Amino acid sequence: MATTARPPRAAGKAARERLWTWLMLPGTLWMTVFLLASLILVATLAFGTTDPLGNPRFGFVLDNITALADPAYRTVLLRSLGYALVTCAVCLLIAYPVAYAIATSGGRYKNVLIAAIVVPFFANYLVRMYGWSVVLSDDGPLLRALRAIGLADGGTRILQTGTGVVAGLVYGFVVFMIIPLYAAMERMDTSLIEAGRDLYAGPLRTFLFVTVPATRQGAAAGCVLVLLPAMGDFVSVQLMGGPDQIMIGNLIQDKFFQGQNWPLGSALTMLLMAVLLLGMLGYLRRTRKDEAEAVR
Amino acid sequence: MRAARGRRRGAERRPRFALAVTAVFFALLYVPIGVVVLYSFNSQKSLTVFDGVSLRWYGAFLRDDVLLNSLGMSLRVSLVAMAGSVVLGVALALGLVRGRNRLGSFAGLVMLVPLITPEIVTGVAAMLLFKGLGITLSTTTVMLAEITFSISYVTVILRSRVAALNPEIEEAAMDLGATRRQAVRLVTLPALLPSILASAVLVFALVFDDFVLAYFTTGVDPQPLSVRIYSAIRFGVQPTINAVGTLMLAGSVGLIALALAIPRLFGRRGGLDLLSGE
Repeated sequence: MATTARPPRAAGKAARERLWTWLMLPGTLWMTVFLLASLILVATLAFGTTDPLGNPRFGFVLDNITALADPAYRTVLLRSLGYALVTCAVCLLIAYPVAYAIATSGGRYKNVLIAAIVVPFFANYLVRMYGWSVVLSDDGPLLRALRAIGLADGGTRILQTGTGVVAGLVYGFVVFMIIPLYAAMERMDTSLIEAGRDLYAGPLRTFLFVTVPATRQGAAAGCVLVLLPAMGDFVSVQLMGGPDQIMIGNLIQDKFFQGQNWPLGSALTMLLMAVLLLGMLGYLRRTRKDEAEAVR
Repeated sequence: MRAARGRRRGAERRPRFALAVTAVFFALLYVPIGVVVLYSFNSQKSLTVFDGVSLRWYGAFLRDDVLLNSLGMSLRVSLVAMAGSVVLGVALALGLVRGRNRLGSFAGLVMLVPLITPEIVTGVAAMLLFKGLGITLSTTTVMLAEITFSISYVTVILRSRVAALNPEIEEAAMDLGATRRQAVRLVTLPALLPSILASAVLVFALVFDDFVLAYFTTGVDPQPLSVRIYSAIRFGVQPTINAVGTLMLAGSVGLIALALAIPRLFGRRGGLDLLSGE
């Protein structure tokens, strides 16, 4: 701190600290009440019950937690994980070439191109998904084009299938993969690519053994940013999928709105959080290890 | 010489495959939005046959009191959430960067929670809190939830800007006789103004478009526009939604352009860096 060099100011240190504390206090209090307390409430209600009228009651029973062992829930959880992971993989497959193309060939249009990717993301999520579902519909432009070139027949469907759900999730969240990957590629030392070429590696080998390892932190960050919303999404299934594709977000929504079983809904919410926290811890351990290696 | 040129050409070789994927990606990114915009001008109800240009669905929207009420509510919620989260978030960012104490480390952690929590969880949590406190879900509860959600955005954006600000300008102001509080008010805040305005515009756009949080915390009537859209599109084709969606799209793009332009209008860098993901 600049002040330590000036003895007269030392007396003002306490006053200064007080000002910063006063500035932090309202926001911290707000977040504690409206965020932390409410999350604790969800965790607590997961151990509650419902009375005969369907009203939630706090308690200490493990019924909701044991109910999660129900194979039906396990199927939905595994399906959600599966869809989220496939979404993540597809996003990686799209984001790597796109980020690479813009970073290496974007020239002075780089920022414009990235902005062109970010701007649709700010369009209303539901409207975008709705437009996407129209494009993917049975007589929508995509399937008509595929049928015209013989890649699909009359019976091919995208909506109401798992593919449709994943397509929805990818469309919704691919931007979260592209931005960190692009940032990582921009930071990357391009002489590495030239070095790879100098060592007679082909474009594919250079990409796989130079570019991918050099940008893996961006990819890892992108995976976390895609997995988080993809796991909790319930709109994609409603617009692109059918009852056979429901995800954990749909279950939670159902327990709170139709089923009126809030304790069970809370338990499912905590389950979702637990799965994501596990993934997050894995990510943090991974990045720590990367950083430790970088230091070494 | 020749070898050097050969290498240069090698490094600049166009990644044809990546470029092809990028072209397809951009097409798929914009086609759905194009469909919504195009069919908002369709004279028929169909979503597959474009029959002729008409403003019919825009007219239908302007006559739809339910949608107009929802629009009004969304605008009110966004304005209040913007004001509330900017005041709380800017103060929090200043305190977090300048003051280092235990409250700060706690606040720093709490502030990150919304960013690593899926929205459905924060939505459920907010709903339970309001119900637990016996508060009827209404426009007010949506506002409270949206403020909570937005504080993090404002703080994250402002935090890096405050950190980039030289604390010595405050010291200089104080050497010239200002109190610490005056220094913050007269020197620090004006220096941060472009970033503050940009984050305010961004929060407005995000809150206006937010669906999940609004869905869990809204009461019966009026409902936020995105919640109305959700119930409408679940029941099949609703051409009016194309018109509403197009208008929202134009609004969001305008706001984002504004948020990006604000720092330039002030003639300096360091406003809102959407692209580097900071």
